Amino acid sequence: METLRSVEEINEKIKRGDAIVLTAEEMIKLAESSGIKVAAKEVDVVTSGTFGAMCSSGAFLNFGHSDPPIKMSKCWLNDVPVYKGLAAVDGYLGATALSETRGFEYGGGHVIEDLVSGKEIELRAESYGTDCYPRRHIETLITIHDLNQAVLLNPRNCYQKYDAAINSTDRVLYTYMGTLLPNYGNITFSGAGQLNPLCKDPNYETIGIGTRIFLGGGIGYIIGEGTQHSPQSGFGTLMVKGDLKQMSSRYLRGATFHRYGVTLYVGVGVPIPVINEKVAQTTVLRDDEIFVNIRDYGVPSRPDLRPILKCVSYAELRSGKVTIGERDVPCSPLSSYKIAKEISEVLKKWILEGQFLLTKPIEPLPEKSEFKPLEVRGKEPRVRDLMRTKVVIARPDDDIKVVARKLVEKGIDHLPVVDDENRIVGIVTSWDLARAIANDKHRLEEIMTRHVIVALENEAIDVVARRMARHNISGVPVVDQANHVIGIITTDDISKKIIGGSITV
Amino acid sequence: MRVKLIYSHDVVEKPVLAEIILKTGLAINILEAKVNAQKGELIVSIPASGERLEEILEMFKEEGVQVQKFTEIIQIDREKCISCGACVSPCPTKALWLGREWTLEFDEEKCVACKTCVDACPVKAIKIQL
Repeated sequence: METLRSVEEINEKIKRGDAIVLTAEEMIKLAESSGIKVAAKEVDVVTSGTFGAMCSSGAFLNFGHSDPPIKMSKCWLNDVPVYKGLAAVDGYLGATALSETRGFEYGGGHVIEDLVSGKEIELRAESYGTDCYPRRHIETLITIHDLNQAVLLNPRNCYQKYDAAINSTDRVLYTYMGTLLPNYGNITFSGAGQLNPLCKDPNYETIGIGTRIFLGGGIGYIIGEGTQHSPQSGFGTLMVKGDLKQMSSRYLRGATFHRYGVTLYVGVGVPIPVINEKVAQTTVLRDDEIFVNIRDYGVPSRPDLRPILKCVSYAELRSGKVTIGERDVPCSPLSSYKIAKEISEVLKKWILEGQFLLTKPIEPLPEKSEFKPLEVRGKEPRVRDLMRTKVVIARPDDDIKVVARKLVEKGIDHLPVVDDENRIVGIVTSWDLARAIANDKHRLEEIMTRHVIVALENEAIDVVARRMARHNISGVPVVDQANHVIGIITTDDISKKIIGGSITV
Repeated sequence: MRVKLIYSHDVVEKPVLAEIILKTGLAINILEAKVNAQKGELIVSIPASGERLEEILEMFKEEGVQVQKFTEIIQIDREKCISCGACVSPCPTKALWLGREWTLEFDEEKCVACKTCVDACPVKAIKIQL
């Protein structure tokens, strides 16, 4: 590939004030109007940007020593716990840590935003006391200016792209992909698509360790591939760091996903030097050429196992609706395209003003990296391991008094009601029966619950326990694919097997 | 115009809305209804404006039904809002959307004050006054 210009040559032009810098959107337009060859020849740098929720973010903080000094073993900022498995007054504040007093409303992401805004933060710490660090407790107020170092260091930012989300169940789901309405009611997605830094240089020709970037409104650096980096499947990520003291709360925002948790919106912008035509080609990649899958978050499995409904482009996602089957489903983003675009413009301005020079990476990012799931070793019980297979059942036309006697004799609370072929048609509990007898009802079918919550034998216990808690019930029949009753499992069965927080079989 | 009708215990069993529909011949659409023995709250859309609307609202008031017009019920703090779009697709009435320059836009006329957007907003930029 013929080199068009080197990073050194671009920097000379930036210093002279005659570098040609375009945002990714502008570069796409230029290539559309004048062709890629002209665009590659004319443009020195293309700026990218993204602004989305990035949970794997946080800050290393150094508080300085008090007198007498303390070896902080536990520490909180505005009641949000700070990781203290480091030296006496070093700590790591993670974006998703929850306030111990305000829960989902406030967390690490919010503390980072408040620090950057210059607000006073309550610092509280405890220690066991040592000869060299006698103090055992400290409570004071700090601002970011009081800290010796405040370094934003994010293990995984800037996903190249991310699968979109939909919900097949009959209830609203609150997830890290936002509010998902029941029955395929909406689609949410994340990522800046054609503005996204890694989409603009997916071959890592110019991006690597040491690349200087826009981070949170200040200057930052790429320090390696991010965790879960999976470039061969199009899901590259970045690990980044920067001086928090230079950053701005416009580009670092604490956020709460309802009933999910807290996180941090992080603004990242990467300059792409157009060193050759191959790079020029990737900088003009458009939303309609970047594809992701829409996955069903109604299935409580790991992300890559959630069923795929459709493969769509960012252009389709950004249009506001996606056709699923025969229906147009409303679709909206979770990350801000508006601010992503603003970041690409700010970075462009910095370069044009000569205050931001480009860097050549010390090492390229790995082009291959396996993203492995976590295998659970050892025996972890499934429903089939805890369910009782001798199930007392009833028929819809059974007499209530006979059924009530059966419950008392067997000492059980749940009675599945089945048809002639042992398929579930209803359920009654001892409470239903007591009320039925009080109200002078006679036949089971008059009182049974017809919408039965069930479990499958290969489901995980945690999933079924959460289902029972959500429906406020204490037992569910276990059925096979054809709805035949093959067992029953109750909260009693589960709790009896739990010893010391783990389930034993 | 979207209006919230609040029925107190005394009037909750009276068919006030039905009578007013019959009397005026207007197709008043019920958008949301929460009714129990103590209290009722309906959100309705009344196809009228100006004096005619005021007349109809007066009819409800005469029957002892409290009336709240849907103006400025939702407030979006533009300083806080990042125009991410998290509130857009969950909105059941399409009252929120990303418009020019990908900035969040809001149509009060379409809003039924269901509060879905208030929970969906990651940066707590939406407030509801009810």
